[in-house]
Amino acid sequence: MKLRIKRARLVRWIIQLIFLGLFVAAFIQTSYGVTVSLQNIFFRFDPLILLIVSIAFRTVIATSLLALTLIAATLVFGRFFCGFVCPLGTTIDIFDVFIKRELAPKPALRSGKYFTLVFLLTAAVLGVSFLHFLDPLVISERSLTLIFHPAATYLAGIFNFGTKVLYVESAIALIVLGAVLVLNFVKQRFWCRSVCPLGGLLAVCSKFSVFRFSFASPESCTNCGICEKICPTGAISIEHARVDAAECIECLRCRYECPQDVFNYRISPASSRIDLSRRQFVGALGTGIIVAPLANSLLHQKLSGRLIRPPGAIPEADFVSVCIHCGKCMKVCPTNGLQPCLLDAGLNGLWTPRLAARIGGCEKNCNMCGQTCPTSAIRKLSLEEKTYAKMGTAVIDRARCIAWEQDRVCLICDEACPYGAISSLSETVRETKLLRPFIDERACNGCGLCEARCPIEGRAAIEVFSIGEERKRSGSYITEEKIQLRECREIDEDLPSGFIIEN
Amino acid sequence: MDKITRRDFIKLGAGAALVTLLPKSLLIAEEKAGPVIGVAEGDNAKLVKAAVDLVGGIDRFMKPGDVVCIKPNLSFASNIDCGATTSPDIVKQMVKLCLDAGASRIIVLDHTIHDATLCIERSRIEEAIIDKKVSLVTLQQERQYTEVDVPLGKELSRIQVAKAIQTADLLINMPVAKTHSATGVSLGLKGLMGLIWDRGYLHRVNLDRAIAELATVIKPQLTVVDATRALITGGPGGPGKTVILNKVVAGTDVVAVDSYTVGLAQWYNKSFTGQQVKSIRAASDLGLGEIDTAKMQIKQVKV
Repeated sequence: MKLRIKRARLVRWIIQLIFLGLFVAAFIQTSYGVTVSLQNIFFRFDPLILLIVSIAFRTVIATSLLALTLIAATLVFGRFFCGFVCPLGTTIDIFDVFIKRELAPKPALRSGKYFTLVFLLTAAVLGVSFLHFLDPLVISERSLTLIFHPAATYLAGIFNFGTKVLYVESAIALIVLGAVLVLNFVKQRFWCRSVCPLGGLLAVCSKFSVFRFSFASPESCTNCGICEKICPTGAISIEHARVDAAECIECLRCRYECPQDVFNYRISPASSRIDLSRRQFVGALGTGIIVAPLANSLLHQKLSGRLIRPPGAIPEADFVSVCIHCGKCMKVCPTNGLQPCLLDAGLNGLWTPRLAARIGGCEKNCNMCGQTCPTSAIRKLSLEEKTYAKMGTAVIDRARCIAWEQDRVCLICDEACPYGAISSLSETVRETKLLRPFIDERACNGCGLCEARCPIEGRAAIEVFSIGEERKRSGSYITEEKIQLRECREIDEDLPSGFIIEN
Repeated sequence: MDKITRRDFIKLGAGAALVTLLPKSLLIAEEKAGPVIGVAEGDNAKLVKAAVDLVGGIDRFMKPGDVVCIKPNLSFASNIDCGATTSPDIVKQMVKLCLDAGASRIIVLDHTIHDATLCIERSRIEEAIIDKKVSLVTLQQERQYTEVDVPLGKELSRIQVAKAIQTADLLINMPVAKTHSATGVSLGLKGLMGLIWDRGYLHRVNLDRAIAELATVIKPQLTVVDATRALITGGPGGPGKTVILNKVVAGTDVVAVDSYTVGLAQWYNKSFTGQQVKSIRAASDLGLGEIDTAKMQIKQVKV
């Protein structure tokens, strides 16, 4: 192979791996205690998040406005994001190294990405976001959270290092990532050219891009066909002496591998059309119109009453759409209590965070989930305000509680409660004084530390339900009334049974 | 000054030589007259050394090169003024004392109830990690434990105990004086629960008796209670009322130290004696120490 080809490939690999490294670094930075950081920088530049979430939420996601710069850059330079920056694209390329390919011209199924884009937009107009199934950055981030992080902590555990992190559902995330990679067997970069709606959005922009790859000197072309074979997105047509700017991810291969040096990157007039037939457009529209109304997590919330959202989560009707299901809150949660929903919030609520208090409660002095959320589906609350954001209320199942049912001096729930909401009050049973836990629902924050600590096997005898849950789209959770209640509340306390009282 | 005659010199020398031959038990008074309790009161910055000096000084418990485990209470992610955790400054004084005595390694450890990272942050315990010989270990992983028999146990038969304390030369228990919603008070004996894996199990059996049985297998050579302030209601996690005592209580006999400390404050606004705390009484019944404050040698010092 010629040296310049090698060098060009190497340069591209290095740039891709640097961006992938940055993406992973931002993921690692997403941990407790790291407050000032660039952990969301990739999401800030994702125009699909800006577009879909803003439309679905009817409010511009201000922090994502940076993504307009990517749109602008694509309008000037083309789809470089897909070829150089996208972590999923790089992962696909790495996977592709292991595939032995018969080099042959590949007819492209180009319309797919526009179909998903139109579908997402239609659903968003109807107030529902399906972004989480299709956005490449979200898929990458979630794969890191749900697949690679637990795996890494497991391996570290073998060497007696670190704390194991596990999630109730990693398999589905693995299947999604696996599918994206396996699609590569069908065609190189199949995901990018046929499915990815972000790719579709950027393709629409790059159709109008100022700079683009093109047949700069078509007269020297010998019709050898190499460029058509090596182009990973099938953007080149020798017959028409054209490089389709919408498809081209600017991987540089044609530029450096053409033996005749036909290709160049330069200012060139726009010469492509959007490959979405009217019929397909209507199809995407119709799919969105039919599917969007079916996504409703409120029903599920009602049915179980156990869907506890992180503190400061916006009202449920909006939450599932504004949340991009990236899993950052779960990664940052120090107790591992934030877990992905399976079908607890409906199919569209898949991977949304819920507090699985049996696994870990919500620590009183932590507000990291709200700090890290890229779309503020979990609001940024101060530590103080967070303690006022009631997630639910603990309920004791007296039939299972060993203090109630077996007269044990357990009261671990009382011990674990940081809000002083659980009191141990004595009850005289046949002349014996026995202590029983009681909950003051006004003081209970729903943090679930009691549920996490309950020492009985399996399901806890004290469980948090979404009773009294408070979800605000804006405005402070701290009210005069609540402050008063906190200040004036006398904590009821009977003498512990550990004392022997002599009369 | 009188001259020392040769005769006197020989007598003195022989006497001194004889003293070294005496069994240790005759020399240390507490074996005869009950355990020594050292109570220092006053300037919080000097309390630990003063209290430990009253029970014989740190050199009595360790020699240069020893590995020391210090077990403060770090269980709750609450601010230090809440009184639910041992003051970092008190722990730091102990760390310093051990470093000065030549400890080769000091491990500050606890099995926290709330999330370990947050407990470390809120208890500000890292202020006590002043040297690279000192490390902070939270015992949140089962692999950090090993199972031991409890020969005297009725409630417990086997229990998983922190490995670190089994290989250390010296274990210093440093509880904070506070109330406990189940056991009444949480002091040295209750603090031992921070060195086992399955704390919940103890709550499923007779808790007070189980704590006493735990003390038959985990035996800190020294117990130093942080009674600079005491959480007298709302324990063990708070929030609750605290009172300022400006005291540190030290002793080798954990039952005696606990029993004495019970008398230092009004728990739940009532006075109690050590005999009125079931767990301390159970430990005393197992012969683990002296519960009667009248039989202790209580040495007090103001600093």
